[in-house]
Amino acid sequence: MRTLFNNGWIEIAFRWILGITFIYASYYKILSPTDFAKMVYGYNLFPEVLINLIAIVLPFVELISGLSLLLGIYPRSAALIINGLLLAFIFILTINIIRGHEFDCGCFSAGKTGSPKMMVARDVIYLIMGLQIFWFNGVRKGCFIRKNHCKRLK
Amino acid sequence: MQWNKTIVEMIFLLGISIILAFTVNFFSPAGIAIVSQWDESLGVVASKADSDVFSGELKIEDVKTAKQIYDKRTAVFVDARSLENFKNGHIKGAESLPLDQFDNFIKAFKEKYPANTFIVTYCSGRTCNDSQRLEQLLFDHGYVNVSIFIDGYQGWKAEGYPIE
Repeated sequence: MRTLFNNGWIEIAFRWILGITFIYASYYKILSPTDFAKMVYGYNLFPEVLINLIAIVLPFVELISGLSLLLGIYPRSAALIINGLLLAFIFILTINIIRGHEFDCGCFSAGKTGSPKMMVARDVIYLIMGLQIFWFNGVRKGCFIRKNHCKRLK
Repeated sequence: MQWNKTIVEMIFLLGISIILAFTVNFFSPAGIAIVSQWDESLGVVASKADSDVFSGELKIEDVKTAKQIYDKRTAVFVDARSLENFKNGHIKGAESLPLDQFDNFIKAFKEKYPANTFIVTYCSGRTCNDSQRLEQLLFDHGYVNVSIFIDGYQGWKAEGYPIE
């Protein structure tokens, strides 16, 4: 198990999967912040003043962290940011599942997402990948730009 | 574990994200307000300033006014929601003009209703902006007399007004 967790090929596979997933996830949100803001509102957990700020900033945190993972620039730190986001997503979704809150604005423009339980399961899998990337202690593969970002930890 | 190094790198990545986010939001035509109206009791919730979303004279802000217009039979109520939602229930006598299939539906609509028709658009309620987007599209197609009923189907249905 330990060897598996420290396998460089698994690390790069997870890094690319998470990287591409987060870049893809950010794309629609950046194109349509209006719709994303409505989804943030729909979770019914954030104060009014934070809704637009979250909708503006979060997609770019996803984009930059995703790119960092993909290109191997500060991969450990990017994984930590993504793990933080995933923990927050899991927490928010779980709260809404427990209190039975489901938001459907009936808007064509807001798009469709999966069921909350499926989203939690998916985020837990991503979190496991993120933890492997974070705890990996070997020479990382596929660091095309800055090889010194991917050295073994001392 | 080199925590100091990791924290500095995280601050760097987050800093770039924040700077990029506000820069893109400032220059992008799709950019949103930093703070906007998210209280449904005060009107339609949206990520832009209210003035950007509706011009005041276009809004029908309460269900009773909408019902008075409906009873006079001078206006055509137009449903901006998906065809599926429309089939599941709509304001009695309303026309369907789903925003996601607007191009397929507008030709037949224009043949049926002249440009001076009084149109009231609606969607599901105060959490959707589709009725406002439909109003803009209809305006682009020459309809000059369009109002937006902001409480939409949910508000209408809650009052027990005619649906089908």
